[in-house]
Amino acid sequence: MIPTLTTTAVTLEHVSKIYPGGVHALNDVSLAVEAGTFLAVMGPSGSGKSTLMHCAAGLDTPSSGKTFIEGTEISHLNETKRTILRRGRVGFIFQQYNLLPSLSVADNITLPLRLAGVAPDHAWVRTLVERVGLADRLHRRPSELSGGQQQRVAVARALVTRPAVVFADEPTGALDLRTAREVLDLLRTLVDELGQTVVMVTHDPGAAARADLALVMADGRIADSIPHPAAAVLARRLTELETE
Amino acid sequence: MLYLAVRMARHRIAGLIAVACATLGGASLVAAIGVVAESGLRGHPEPGRLASADVVVSAPQTYRVPEDLPITLPERAGVPVGTIARLAALPGVTAAIGDVTIGAAVIGTDGRVTPVDGHNWSSLTLTSGTAPADSTSTSPAASTGASPAADPSPTASQAADPAQTGNPAQTGGTEDGGRPTGVPDGADEVALDTATARAAGVTTGGTVRISAAGSIADYRVTAVLDDAGPGAWFADQAAITLSGRTENRVDLVALRTEPGRADEVADAARALGGGLAVTTGDARGDIADPATAAGRSMLPLMAGSLSGVTLLVIGIIVGGALAVSFSGQRRELALLRAVGATPRQIRRLATRQALIVAAVSAVPGAVAGYALAGRFRELLVALGMAPAGLPLQWSPLPGLAAVLLMTLTAWIAALCAVATISRMPATEAVAGSRAEPRTPSAWRFSSGLVVLAGANALAVTPMLARNEAGAAMTAMAGILAAVGLALSGPGLLSLAGRVMARLLPSRAAASTWLAVANTRGYAVRTAAAVSTLAVAVVFTLTYALTQTTVLAGSTRDLADGTHAQLAVTAPALGRVPSELAGAVARVPGVTGAALVGGTTVIWTYSMLGDPVVEAASAMVLDPAAASVFDLGIRDGDLSGLTGATIAVDAGAARARNAGVGDTIDLALGDGTPVQARIVATYERGLGFGPVIVSRDLAAGHATGLDQRLLVATSGDAAVAAAVSELAAARPGVVAGPADPGSASVSPELWLNVAVLGVLLGYLLLGIANKLITATAQRRDEITLLRLAGATPAQIRAMLRREAALIWTFATAGGVGLAVLPLVFLSLGFLGRPWPAGPWWLGPAVVGVVGLIAFLSIELPGRRVLRTTSVTI
Repeated sequence: MIPTLTTTAVTLEHVSKIYPGGVHALNDVSLAVEAGTFLAVMGPSGSGKSTLMHCAAGLDTPSSGKTFIEGTEISHLNETKRTILRRGRVGFIFQQYNLLPSLSVADNITLPLRLAGVAPDHAWVRTLVERVGLADRLHRRPSELSGGQQQRVAVARALVTRPAVVFADEPTGALDLRTAREVLDLLRTLVDELGQTVVMVTHDPGAAARADLALVMADGRIADSIPHPAAAVLARRLTELETE
Repeated sequence: MLYLAVRMARHRIAGLIAVACATLGGASLVAAIGVVAESGLRGHPEPGRLASADVVVSAPQTYRVPEDLPITLPERAGVPVGTIARLAALPGVTAAIGDVTIGAAVIGTDGRVTPVDGHNWSSLTLTSGTAPADSTSTSPAASTGASPAADPSPTASQAADPAQTGNPAQTGGTEDGGRPTGVPDGADEVALDTATARAAGVTTGGTVRISAAGSIADYRVTAVLDDAGPGAWFADQAAITLSGRTENRVDLVALRTEPGRADEVADAARALGGGLAVTTGDARGDIADPATAAGRSMLPLMAGSLSGVTLLVIGIIVGGALAVSFSGQRRELALLRAVGATPRQIRRLATRQALIVAAVSAVPGAVAGYALAGRFRELLVALGMAPAGLPLQWSPLPGLAAVLLMTLTAWIAALCAVATISRMPATEAVAGSRAEPRTPSAWRFSSGLVVLAGANALAVTPMLARNEAGAAMTAMAGILAAVGLALSGPGLLSLAGRVMARLLPSRAAASTWLAVANTRGYAVRTAAAVSTLAVAVVFTLTYALTQTTVLAGSTRDLADGTHAQLAVTAPALGRVPSELAGAVARVPGVTGAALVGGTTVIWTYSMLGDPVVEAASAMVLDPAAASVFDLGIRDGDLSGLTGATIAVDAGAARARNAGVGDTIDLALGDGTPVQARIVATYERGLGFGPVIVSRDLAAGHATGLDQRLLVATSGDAAVAAAVSELAAARPGVVAGPADPGSASVSPELWLNVAVLGVLLGYLLLGIANKLITATAQRRDEITLLRLAGATPAQIRAMLRREAALIWTFATAGGVGLAVLPLVFLSLGFLGRPWPAGPWWLGPAVVGVVGLIAFLSIELPGRRVLRTTSVTI
């Protein structure tokens, strides 16, 4: 049932997460994300989708079960080792962009490389900034950019280490419809043209509809797995779950 | 709003605790200063012997300065004897007692010396405890100087009737044709109190040796009094002669009045005119003890400047702490703006937080201030800044003032701190609510550079004016430089950051690179820390090293200018016997012997057409001084230092446009105006003071004559032995090696150093607090970095390197700004480019600054790392 490890970017095996106080945020979840696919994780608030992402990305450790990034188990690593693995193999995009205000656009993008002590691959960085359309704004500060531009900087930063997987947590949550669509288009082309694996947590059925596969979570479990989802189907399913 | 202010404040407790601590400490300092100031304003020394007088008439103890505060005179001017009779004749006066006090010492038969105050016989009624009989009340003192022998004395009646006074020592009835015994009459007679008589080993009728005002003589003891305080009572005229005054004057006149008529008598005495000061009540203490009174008049002035500096520093600290706290609350304040709070409401919200905290903490602070006041007074007394005899006055006023001032300071500081945030448009308030890096203002940068240049220009002054005023410019330059640095700091720092970013090798560690980027990106934030630390370095170096350098300069002046090998002093006698100078000078091998004393002179001169009045301490010398001192005479000759003459420091003379041969107007220490001719100008004014007064001129107007007899010899040990022998033959006189002495720095300067030390400590605590709060508030930034892949170790390294940068910039800035003024000062005062002073001062300051920078970033940084989870 579980695909061979070498072809998956992210694997979760019987992962449970119990927060202090006995809240079961994740309840025996197993999951494999194939390399080069776009996965959307949906669900009502409190369904465990954020916890799933945090455990899968190595931001948090599961209470039980194992998590792998490209076949490397990360659930037993300590904080520093997980950090080092994350900065090389995982990219992040957040709702609040999370750029460092004191650094220029270029410095923000190459920050993970600097932290890893790796010299930037200039050709790759140029490709990225051109793809996200920021080639003329490299020396600006984040405060001088619009929200959509800042999110595109965040996308470029997430990709600069050529990660095995990019996790996006509500990447369009703070954007207007048009800018949101631009960012989703960007993520889609990354998957289609660069073969990038993307895992996106979202509330928005319209955003989830751009994914190859949509997981719908409820009560710490995967309730549905919908390939090539249609926004209307997802919206209906979400409404059902929320009124249950 | 108040509810909101409290609710929001509860979440920003750390920043507000800093405000609380600052106001608490500030209030206690201000209250303590206030208590001392009030004591200076309203307190009076104990009236002592004048306690029994209802009204005291004296010469005014102040020197009026046009358009400025009067100078309190340290020496007594005296009242003409003729005035006593006029005062006695006033209606309601039951006794008018003239009083003369002379420093004296009784020399026992065994050579033991007992210092004692000498008085005139008439003044015995002040302390004898027995009121004079009515019939004799006004006559004794009124008779002073006229015909003392003819009039019965107040104590004569006591002596005539031993049973009445119960004084067993006063036995002897009458002698010499009915004149009552006990009354010292001739210039060689004295009455002693029991204790002094016992110490000297004499009884009534015996002979005692007394040193009074520099002359030693034998006196016949006419009475031993056991109901008077300690003292030696001379005949009235003899006392006036001993006091050294050339005119027939007493120190003061004490009046006793009929019950309830003191005020009436005081008014009548004032109406007599003649420029006399009439005093009643507690203020009599000021007349009894003019030195304490002179000291107390300085206290309110000093308190004014002290509390001013304190308020300024507290304001800066509170403002800084609040600014950090408010920037932490930016998001909340911005949200309030967005939901409809007006800028005015935001300001009120912010200031109310500060007001509550300040008011709550200022009250216990002020209470603590009262407890502190006693210690503060002790410190001032130890420094010689406050008279020891002044009691503290307790009233709620200083405490109230402290609470009000601190609350006001906190309010103003809060207004300044919240100004930018409250002025933002509501939309920007939301958008800009993440503390974005600001670009340092160009105007601020260039004006700061101008101030820095001005500071260094000012620092040249000590090269031109080799005196304390010149040296004060070095410290002044330090303060200006600090202001300049505070202004230009952000600009300089972002410039330095840009340069460093360019120079940084591309392979530099990520933490180094981030530290540089942060220093540059947050130039305003970093500059606040850097410039405050740099200010601490500048202040410490310029202030401390200025004092030590001036001290070294004047000590060197004294050492180079003093040729005497031996010094003869008479601490117990109060004055070196004047005849000793001649005796020592006659010893073979002695090349010079000169009496040295000290007093105060007031010199009025014209500067740019306006009269300037300056009081200066002055040495009192006679022509023999040329044989023991080399003052570096520029012009003229010390041999002319007789009569109404002075010698003047060459620089001071130039500044006053005076030269040798000119006659200038001076006032002596008791306010007597004199005209004195300048006989010499000299170079070594730093060590020897700006003015030297001839002994002839100061005699009778100064109590500090003949403090030392300096002796220059051929260097032969036998000569020294001979001089010592001469000294030893006189009880109370000591000969020793002449220590040219280290010049003493004026107590005001030491006080400045002490206060600056306290405030610097405060400043450093303030900046430590600011750094701690600022670091703790970097939680978001640190979380971002962790998400971008920074390990905890990398974050710690980054913070440490930021601390190192702050340290480096602060040290470089501070030392850099202090160097030029100190080089100028050292060249001017010591003739070499480096200052005198403890070598460890610089490293110590740099070390302390480093410690503060590292600890106040490292510790909160660790805490943030520990408590930050990577997830957001």
